[in-house]
Amino acid sequence: MSQLKITELTKKYYNKIALRNVTLNFEQGKIYGLLGPNGSGKTTLMKVVAGLHKQTSGNVFINDEELSYKTKAYVSYMPTENYLYGSFKVVDILKFYKDMYEDFRYDYAVSLLNEIKVNMGNKVSNLSSGEIGKLKTVIALSRDAEIYMLDEPLNGVDVLSRDTIMDIITKSHSENKIIVISTHLVSEIEKILDTVIFLNEGTVEIFGDAEELRQERQLSVEGIYKEVFRNA
Amino acid sequence: MLNLIKYEFIRKYRLVFMILITILALNLFLLTRGVGGSMLFLVLSPIVLYVFYLADIIRMYSDDLNKKTGYMLFMTPNSGYKIISSKLLTAILEGFGLLLIYFLFIIVNSIYIIISIGEVVDFRRILSSINNILSGSLGYSFNLIYLFITLFSILVFIIAFITTAYTAMTIRKSLFSEIKFGGLISFIIFLLINWITTYVSSWLYGLLSNISPYYESMDIILSTGRFNQETLIMILLPMISVAIIQTITLTGFSGYLLEKKINL
Repeated sequence: MSQLKITELTKKYYNKIALRNVTLNFEQGKIYGLLGPNGSGKTTLMKVVAGLHKQTSGNVFINDEELSYKTKAYVSYMPTENYLYGSFKVVDILKFYKDMYEDFRYDYAVSLLNEIKVNMGNKVSNLSSGEIGKLKTVIALSRDAEIYMLDEPLNGVDVLSRDTIMDIITKSHSENKIIVISTHLVSEIEKILDTVIFLNEGTVEIFGDAEELRQERQLSVEGIYKEVFRNA
Repeated sequence: MLNLIKYEFIRKYRLVFMILITILALNLFLLTRGVGGSMLFLVLSPIVLYVFYLADIIRMYSDDLNKKTGYMLFMTPNSGYKIISSKLLTAILEGFGLLLIYFLFIIVNSIYIIISIGEVVDFRRILSSINNILSGSLGYSFNLIYLFITLFSILVFIIAFITTAYTAMTIRKSLFSEIKFGGLISFIIFLLINWITTYVSSWLYGLLSNISPYYESMDIILSTGRFNQETLIMILLPMISVAIIQTITLTGFSGYLLEKKINL
């Protein structure tokens, strides 16, 4: 059973506090939208869960296990930055993932890349930003992980490719998985979200069911976003 | 662990290959200058290889800690201990590889020198030529045991140095990642570790000179340059011991920091 539990999480940097006492409980079978303006703490939260940042205080439990190198096997994190080795060909990146993660589905990744027309023989450094975005999404979602954390998966991707990425995300969703997506493009992603989390200056402003919030406020998630952050 | 080492080499093989091609080109160019050119190459190339080697292995870890591509490595479900150990093993293997290549250059250049001076190329003559070259650079006559002791000591000291540098970088990205001037403090820690090592070694030699004749007259023995294998081992042993303890301690400490405190 996939479960992600965050309690009283605080992350400080030397000149700012990125997260303040964040408590969240993620359940399997849901797609979560992690929404908020720049600097609200979305990326920091994902990096802590992925084990790339150490929290200042608080706890994160994945399937009741405290964060460690072992919990990295449960989390498939897609950073917003281009983190792929530039000197590698696309096929080498897939081989790397296959060698490093037991749950990586190599053939599935190849079929997705063929579908979205990313050439396996190309070097990563020669790919356009849109192709990098697609490649990052494909490799993150080709892991049969329990938790997917996608940081700005639509960034730098053209309109047509966005639909493809959304399709891949939807395909990867199942009853026993947790998907967390952070984005600024709320209108594009809101149709697939089950739950939304609004982060503002490191604190949780809203955490609730997307449909209930729409009905309660008679606004789309994007409308609520604008309302919340315009006044923030 | 093997996978981590494999990808370290895949990431760097192009650069290593380019350096070797450059050195080969340098060798071919200097060979056109005759025996003098060949000797110059044998003096220059280990310096070039050594500088490249140090820069490359420091970069190998520094890039992973300071560039976004480091996420590729640190997102994998490998413990910090495994990651730092794989870096050290890669450094050791790369060092051996470059050393082997240098020996190949020595052999090829020895053959060239023998031919140039009009002598017959045979195994004994090649060994004698290598002996002349090593006598110049290592300071004593060619002997496999001497060579092994020297190379082993050099390797241990280099690995201890690398571990110290890696530890300072790890401290920067963990304990001091959230404070100002973390880089400067880490550099001071790097200097401090080196100072402590030197201090411990001198203290150990001071202590040993009171109980063993080897260490009492060490300076005299070293200044004459005439010492046997046993003396050489005895002289180097305390330093090697300190370097090995330093390496094990710092590797464990870096592994712990990577595991528990890292902020990429």
